[in-house]
Amino acid sequence: MAAVWSRVCLVISLIVFSSSVTAHGVDDATRQFLQSIEGAAIAPFLYIGAKHMVTGYDHLLFLVGVIFFLYRPKDVLVYVTFFTIGHSLTLMLGVLNNIAVNPFIIDAIIGFSIVYKGFDNLGGFQRLFGFQPNTKVAVLIFGLFHGFGLATKLQEFKIPENGLLENLIAFNVGVELGQFMALIFILIALSIWRRQPSFLRFSMAVNTLLMSGGMMLVGYQLTGYLMS
Amino acid sequence: MTPEKVNYPVQSIAALFKATIIALVIAATVLVIAILPAEYNIDPTGLGKKVGLTELAPKQKAVVSKRESKKKTAGSFMSDRVEVVIPAGKGLEYKFHLLKGSPMLYSWNSMGIELYFDFHGEPDGDTTGYFESYTESTASEVKGSFKAPFDGSHGWYWENKTNGPASVVLSTQGQYKVIGLK
Repeated sequence: MAAVWSRVCLVISLIVFSSSVTAHGVDDATRQFLQSIEGAAIAPFLYIGAKHMVTGYDHLLFLVGVIFFLYRPKDVLVYVTFFTIGHSLTLMLGVLNNIAVNPFIIDAIIGFSIVYKGFDNLGGFQRLFGFQPNTKVAVLIFGLFHGFGLATKLQEFKIPENGLLENLIAFNVGVELGQFMALIFILIALSIWRRQPSFLRFSMAVNTLLMSGGMMLVGYQLTGYLMS
Repeated sequence: MTPEKVNYPVQSIAALFKATIIALVIAATVLVIAILPAEYNIDPTGLGKKVGLTELAPKQKAVVSKRESKKKTAGSFMSDRVEVVIPAGKGLEYKFHLLKGSPMLYSWNSMGIELYFDFHGEPDGDTTGYFESYTESTASEVKGSFKAPFDGSHGWYWENKTNGPASVVLSTQGQYKVIGLK
């Protein structure tokens, strides 16, 4: 009987404390899991990585901006590959070398990457500077920052050294799976919309909203930084 | 870098200016009336409180309680006894907040069930996941004293590798504030 009650107390206190702990980007149940693992847990990390990408509106908004004017499948593949190389590099290096970056600052930069791409899609740099900054290089560089963002999500938990590399690779592969799934939906929606005459008329509005969304993320994260 | 050809419409300066201003106004509005009240309890218009958005803000509460705990930690002498049940095959953490130099006497007993444990501390404000291990071993009973090497949360991670639940009774005395299960 005593054991039953102590278990009830445990469950209640878990609920109470988990709601007071502020996890930045990963929900409490996942946090509980991450702190209790020992050794390699491939499937769970695959899932967490995929879920993070599918539900990660910051990464998705950036991808929408990147492929907005990419009409050929080959171009989509090239740009997404640059993004993947960028974020995988810093995700792996960041976690393995324990590189400490402030999650608020990095998420603000990710927000800025969306503003940049929205402005770029309006032809902003072309108009202002008279030339187009290399778009592939931009995707690669912003990809590096997105990877640091992914790394900070994992670094918030003390994942045991035991099995770290396997779990990290699983998380990274999960991120790519999630990105692939999200991309399919974005591409289908975009390609249907492109056939409508409204596409070019609304492209200005969409990219303005993209910039606005990025600015919200910047404001949100910088406020968080100032308050932490 | 070779200049690239743009295969999409390049807007006029006026249109770019307009788009940027509209984006800024929308972003600022949403931030002020929704995001900041709901996320951080920053509510310049008072609207967030009126419609209940500020109720959502968790971080403000966490920050306040952290400050309170600091004040209390420095002064009061505490004595606690708690029973923590670790389910079969699982691990749990029980933590205390201690200021640098604060002492703590501790003992825990798991009634003969051998548990892997890691007695460790994490500095305040650290987001990198850094922690310092004080003792890492397997035992069913440990007694000791401890002086916190830095401001932060200090405590035990126990892992129960057996097939049944394990109950740990933890007694502590010293200058700290209970954080509890994590």
